[in-house]
Amino acid sequence: MQKNNKQNSEQGFKHWFIKKWSTEPIFSTGIALIVMIILQTWSLGFDYDSFGSWFFTWTNNWINILRNNAGVGLIALGMSFVIMSAGIDLSVGSTMVAVGAALMMLIDRGPNGILINLGIEGIPAILIAILVSLAFGYFLGNLNGILITRGGIPPFVVTLATMKLYRSVTQHFMQGYNPRVPLEFLPISNFQIGRFRMMPIIYWLLIAAVLYFMSKRTTFGRQIIAVGSNERSANLSGVNVKKVKRRVYAITGLLVSFAAIIQVSRIGSMDYANAGSGYEMEAIAAAVVGGTSMSGGRGTVIGTLLGVLIIAVMNNLLNLLGVPPFLREAFKGLILIGAVLMQKKQKTV
Amino acid sequence: MKIEIKNIDKAFGAIEAVKDVSFSVSGGEVCALIGENGAGKSTLMNILGGVLPADRGEILIDGQQVNFQKPADSLNAGIAFIHQELNLINDLPIYENMFIGRELKKKGRILDLEKMIARTKEVFDQMEIDLDPKTMVRDLDTSYKQIVEISRAIMMDASIIIMDEPTTSLTDQEIERVFEMMKTLKKQNVGIVFISHKLNEVIEFCDRYSVLRNGELVAEGMVSEVNVDQLARAMVGHELRTESLQRKTESGREVLRAENLSYNNDFKNISFSVHQGEILGVTGLLGDGRQELFQAIFGSGQIEAGELYLNDQQVEIKNTTDALQKGIGYLPRDRKENGIIKDMDIFENASIVTWPLFDNFGIIDREKQEQEFKEQVERLRIKMGAKNDSINSLSGGNQQKIVLAKWLIANPEIFILDNPTQGVDVGAKEDIYDIILELAAEGIAVVILSSEAKEIIRICDRALVMYHGVIQGELSQAEMSEHEIMRLATGASLNSVQEGAEDAEK
Repeated sequence: MQKNNKQNSEQGFKHWFIKKWSTEPIFSTGIALIVMIILQTWSLGFDYDSFGSWFFTWTNNWINILRNNAGVGLIALGMSFVIMSAGIDLSVGSTMVAVGAALMMLIDRGPNGILINLGIEGIPAILIAILVSLAFGYFLGNLNGILITRGGIPPFVVTLATMKLYRSVTQHFMQGYNPRVPLEFLPISNFQIGRFRMMPIIYWLLIAAVLYFMSKRTTFGRQIIAVGSNERSANLSGVNVKKVKRRVYAITGLLVSFAAIIQVSRIGSMDYANAGSGYEMEAIAAAVVGGTSMSGGRGTVIGTLLGVLIIAVMNNLLNLLGVPPFLREAFKGLILIGAVLMQKKQKTV
Repeated sequence: MKIEIKNIDKAFGAIEAVKDVSFSVSGGEVCALIGENGAGKSTLMNILGGVLPADRGEILIDGQQVNFQKPADSLNAGIAFIHQELNLINDLPIYENMFIGRELKKKGRILDLEKMIARTKEVFDQMEIDLDPKTMVRDLDTSYKQIVEISRAIMMDASIIIMDEPTTSLTDQEIERVFEMMKTLKKQNVGIVFISHKLNEVIEFCDRYSVLRNGELVAEGMVSEVNVDQLARAMVGHELRTESLQRKTESGREVLRAENLSYNNDFKNISFSVHQGEILGVTGLLGDGRQELFQAIFGSGQIEAGELYLNDQQVEIKNTTDALQKGIGYLPRDRKENGIIKDMDIFENASIVTWPLFDNFGIIDREKQEQEFKEQVERLRIKMGAKNDSINSLSGGNQQKIVLAKWLIANPEIFILDNPTQGVDVGAKEDIYDIILELAAEGIAVVILSSEAKEIIRICDRALVMYHGVIQGELSQAEMSEHEIMRLATGASLNSVQEGAEDAEK
């Protein structure tokens, strides 16, 4: 034993590092992120003489990265819970478009605006529109959940179907209709704090904090892990498996509506054909890079946040380094494969 | 061929799993390796199988020292390891499973199916097994799956076969079948290492025995010179109770009553009742429907017809959550598949049932859970490291106790236990019996489903014997015997009990 202890102290740090690296996905993902941030900082060109303006550029760059990814970040959080429950949700992008369209119809200042025709304007209209959008997103997610649990259809198939359904119906109804978003709606995302527009980041992180608490401390949060890890055991432990699954999809729908609200308030419009398309894959990639296991049972909120950041920072870095645009997606693919290979190693250790 | 392992040491961190153990097995002999869960049997065999390296000691084959780096080395040396979790692919036929990874091919890389079938048939003939090589593995029962795996080992010229608790999940007839196979192996000069908890099987079937306790070799010798009691004592290190645990008690009021429950062909016209403080046994052979029946009562399965009464009120149990809220608990069989959740730690596994019972607006009451957990760990004498260690760090017996603990914390009014002592060592088994008796004494209605007649006789106040989905008979404490239970379980009717008695008189 004494010999062992001596060895341990000699290679203490190395040992600790290897152990952490090989057992905790968050640790390795975190290190990868730090390395990228260093590279990114370096490539922004650190200049000691004009520290002030350098710092502003650096911060601004970061605020931009985070703000641009707040929407996908929220969706990725929902996605990671779905994957933790051993499911998948391909419909998130289409749900976002559907909720966005509903939101814009409600707040439209033009002759067809729903709330304005009911005589509701200004702040009350905005509040009502937000609440209705959230409820609508929850409803669409819940619909996925009901088809999966009651209908007994695999999640991949259900959400592939609703992915097509939600977007197609939205596009049909919104043909030739260009709602005008009232100016009072835009500050939701564009309100400036100091010199920075960082509202979406604040929503994202606040919601992440709530979800973190939910995943660690609530019955529902822990039951998600139980259901994803071993559905039979969970069922025989009195967990209402169907209810847990349904609620996971519903909550994802809710998070998607937050993303839709941010999107609409940021730019005041929405492209129904393209907005949110590919978000499902971005979200899955972020969740997986963050250590969520595709077979369910494993994953964390913090891991998913790191996963979103890694992909975002890498995009930014490739941009700064001048990597040709068509090649950038290849790097995303490589990162994804690297992350999964690492997790596979971690599982066997 | 003779394999010797000499003075093996193996430690995991500070825990010495195997201490200075020597062991040997030769062709044509069956050597039993017995010990409680966590005694070091698996570690020792993993070293022999090339899965783990030894810290110290040597392995000799026919006197030559060998060095196993990986499982393939050991396999090439002629040692096959049949794990408890079988290593077959359900969706392929037997012959493809026999050749998996080493498929026979014709020119142009086309599989030579005919040759594989013929070769498989050859091995089966040699082993005196009557099986069609083209059968899908999914259609085989567990004993035949085991036989296929053993045949595969034989085909690869294994001369020593290690079998890790081969009979745990088998019914009596299946066990018989595996034993037949082992006899044939013995005749063909294959050596067998038989790892088991079941001492009767060791006595009946093995030539030599070695007993491990806490990583040390505590006894070895010829099986013909010992009996079950002596082996059991060597395993646990102290005397074991064998007396009947049946109590003479008046049971209380009726808690659960079933009237004519039916579902499909699983169970038909089931009527029975359970009382406060009573231990009701339900037994039968494979396919008797008891698991389906009680899972349906617990809300994890369907009931087509019939009524269920809880405390004289008719109820419908919609799902398992509903059952939990109505005070029904269910300890499932097959701990790995139905009992534990491998991605959660020990503490979470023990509190999953009660999260919704103790939470405040959905937020888990950790303080209360921890307090309850601590009580159960003491009460059930659970041996564990930290409470947030992985559930897989526990031995089988302690895992089972955690599954038991999660239900005890919920304090059910009716507690159904399906094979509660499956794959559990002798010591833990007695602990579990003690808890069951305590629960009954507290007034909980206990239902024990078991395929072991001995277990039913030893602990139950009353027993129902099922056969193909119907209750074939009910036995009181006085009427229970292995003989009677087996008669009913194989479909003989209750009134033949008298005939049996007359036969005995003659």
